[in-house]
Amino acid sequence: MLACAGLLALAQWSGAGGSRQPSVRVVRITERDFHIGAPRRIAAGRVRLEVKNDGPDLHELIVVRDPAGARLPLRTDGLTVNEDALAPEEVGSLEPGVPGSVRGLVLRLRPGRYEIFCNMAGHYMSGMHAVLLVGKP
Amino acid sequence: MRAPAFTPYSSRGRKPIVAILVTFALCSTASIGLSIWQTARTQHRAEVLRVAERQQTLASEYVQQVMLVRAGQQSDPDVTATILRLSTDALLDGGAVPAVPGNDDEAELAPATDPVVRAQLIQERRLVDDMTATGAAYLAGRPVSSAPLTAGEHLAVSAPLTRLRLLSMLTADAALNTARTIVAESDSDVTNLIAMQAVLGAAGLLVSLTLALALVAATRRQTAHFRSIVDSSTDLVIVLGDGGCRHVSRSVTAMLGVSEDAVVGDGILRYLHPDDRALVRSAQISGRAEEIVFQLLNQHGEWRTLEAHVTDLRNDRAIRGVVLNARDVTERVRLQDELVRQAYHDGLTGLANRSLFRDRLEQALARSSRTGGTVAVLILDLDGFKQVNDSLGHDAGDQLLRVVADRVTETVRATDTVARFGGDEFAVLLDQTDEALAVSVARRALARLAEPAVVAGRELEVAASIGIALQSGEGAGDELVRDADVAMYAAKDAGRGRHEVFRSEMARDPDELLGLDNELRYALARDELTVHYQPEISLSGGQIVGVEALVRWTSPTRGPVGPDVFIPVAEASGLIAALGDLVLREACSVTAGWLRDGIVGPDFVTWVNVSHKQLTMGGVPDAVDRALRSAGLPPRNLGLEVTETAIMPGGAADRARAELQQLHDAGVRIAIDDFGTGFSSLAHLRHFSVDMIKVDRSFVQGVERDAKDTAITANVVALAHALGLVAVAEGIETEGQLAHMRTVGCDVGQGYLFSRPVPAAEVTAFLAAAREDAQAA
Repeated sequence: MLACAGLLALAQWSGAGGSRQPSVRVVRITERDFHIGAPRRIAAGRVRLEVKNDGPDLHELIVVRDPAGARLPLRTDGLTVNEDALAPEEVGSLEPGVPGSVRGLVLRLRPGRYEIFCNMAGHYMSGMHAVLLVGKP
Repeated sequence: MRAPAFTPYSSRGRKPIVAILVTFALCSTASIGLSIWQTARTQHRAEVLRVAERQQTLASEYVQQVMLVRAGQQSDPDVTATILRLSTDALLDGGAVPAVPGNDDEAELAPATDPVVRAQLIQERRLVDDMTATGAAYLAGRPVSSAPLTAGEHLAVSAPLTRLRLLSMLTADAALNTARTIVAESDSDVTNLIAMQAVLGAAGLLVSLTLALALVAATRRQTAHFRSIVDSSTDLVIVLGDGGCRHVSRSVTAMLGVSEDAVVGDGILRYLHPDDRALVRSAQISGRAEEIVFQLLNQHGEWRTLEAHVTDLRNDRAIRGVVLNARDVTERVRLQDELVRQAYHDGLTGLANRSLFRDRLEQALARSSRTGGTVAVLILDLDGFKQVNDSLGHDAGDQLLRVVADRVTETVRATDTVARFGGDEFAVLLDQTDEALAVSVARRALARLAEPAVVAGRELEVAASIGIALQSGEGAGDELVRDADVAMYAAKDAGRGRHEVFRSEMARDPDELLGLDNELRYALARDELTVHYQPEISLSGGQIVGVEALVRWTSPTRGPVGPDVFIPVAEASGLIAALGDLVLREACSVTAGWLRDGIVGPDFVTWVNVSHKQLTMGGVPDAVDRALRSAGLPPRNLGLEVTETAIMPGGAADRARAELQQLHDAGVRIAIDDFGTGFSSLAHLRHFSVDMIKVDRSFVQGVERDAKDTAITANVVALAHALGLVAVAEGIETEGQLAHMRTVGCDVGQGYLFSRPVPAAEVTAFLAAAREDAQAA
């Protein structure tokens, strides 16, 4: 319900931005505990991901496009994502941010399926990932 | 608006300096305080960090221990779980951190304050709980999915061990991130500290710089102020420092007629009198506060005399030199010299005057006392000068005096002093001479003066008399002049145009006594005066009935001085009161001693002479009273001998009479001394209370030769008896005199025939012997 309201708001904001300023759209993403809050669908083009860390831990954000399987490849410990294996798909990342921080990541997103996650030790396996579907504008 | 009063130089600049120091002190203290505080914080934080980092290891160890237990090995994951949990609590809320067995020490932590750190620690605690719950379920064989997950994690694995490892990893990561936050926080603290210290340092520097600039400005102002004062002063100011003259006031450059540049450094030396360079140099070196006098050459080529006060201002930042504050005293010095010349020279002849002559004479005598040479004084007095003045007028007289001055000057060496004492009296001082030389000078002078002199168009023959006095070694100048004067009069008496050398046989001038009063004053102070006693013998019984106290003076310079010489001096100078007191005290004290020792009878009387002058000065009763009281002597054992004039009525003697009467009433005996030599009125004698009459020695000593004296003595004794008085014969020196006085019925005798006046000790012995004789008889 809340997510729907957020989406609606985002859609309205995007629409307004689209007509006037087609260059960058802002997508708000929050990180809290071991959870990433993000819109499920966004339009393709230049976007600015505004990542707010609501704590209490430090979190990073890695964006990959069209990962192969349902689960991202893991390192040999079986607990963290193997980023090296994902390098071709990675479109952007933010280094760990301190609690309370808001950081921006500007990306040109083509339509497709993206996965965003935090790869701090064990965070991914504890549920810190979300799917971002980028549709044609 | 009134301008603020000028601040004295010495107090200037103190405030800024103090303010600079205070600023530095405050900033340094703040900075050091901050550092100490920060160091303490850092130490505590390191401890927190160590504990936070230890959590990572503990979380992995917990998993390993669980696996060991599962593998049937010995291990105790619960201990690790407890340490983990307690450590997290301690990190969050403060308190004791348990030690890992065999690994490290316990620690005591303060509660976490940073909200981010606190949130991270709360999360960490939840993860620890989740991990240990999962571990416990795993070990208990329960499904691990039943273990609660409280930290918001959604674990994507179901394998128990993987699940446990994942939770351990999360826990370790949370611990690591907490540590990171703490480090970041610490870094930002250090940054803040550096910033604060930089601000403090900058503020201190800024304040100090401002104050220092203010100080420099104040110093400049004060230097300018000093310069303007110096330059506007009429005083001549010269500042001497290292490298010579540093500054001169405008008044100096105006006087020298040059610019300051020509004077600074060694330039001043060109204008300074060569004789004064050493003086100025020494003032510059010592800086001693004193007055110095030196000469500067002014622009007109005149030497100007400057009197300068020296002030050492080398330590004064504004001056840094020795300051000569000078005034031009040339005119004053000139005037002084003129006055001195006038004071020491005779205006008419230009010769030395009496003062200068006396001065030179004293110097010559002082020299001769050192070297043993002889000094001669010649006094020259013109013969018949008064007639010249009277017949030819004073101008002619003055002209003649100038001629005499020139001629006398011609006859002596340049080093000898010729003086005019006034009138027609001249004096010559010959140093390092002898009698033959002095006489030859006198002869030459007389011969030269005898040559005719043309005065006022008339040819005059001048004659003079010269007296010569010589002195070898120490002596008084005044006496030498007086001796020469005496010799001059002797020469005049012997006939005009002569010279005489002073001989001691020549009559001494009576004002020799003038110097005596001072000597007498010292004599009194130094106890040179003694009291002697001459016994008085009963002519009928032969016993000693009394003594007369007589004062004696032996001067260390003059030898014995007779009372006939010094008593008049004492009377003239007022010393008689002190002298009288001395005799009274002595006499009373000695007599009281005799009475106490029983060597005199109760009727014994000691007689003390009281001079007429003493009586007219008043105060005799008080002096007598004091002496009696102090000695404890009954009044009837003391007698006062007074002269006849003392009891004559009229004038001051009236009071003296009253005082004597008062003393007589008190019991003190009174005698009339030297009876017959004054102007006694028998009527007065009758009415005045007297106990005794002393027949003057002149009558007594004449009784053997002069029939008149024989008659007088007989009559005086008869008169005394008629008035009911005791008669005493003074000055009995021969048996014949004694026999006569006995014959005329005189009661008491006194004189060399019996005893001279002798010191107290001697008379005491004498009295004691007489007493013993009387008792034996």
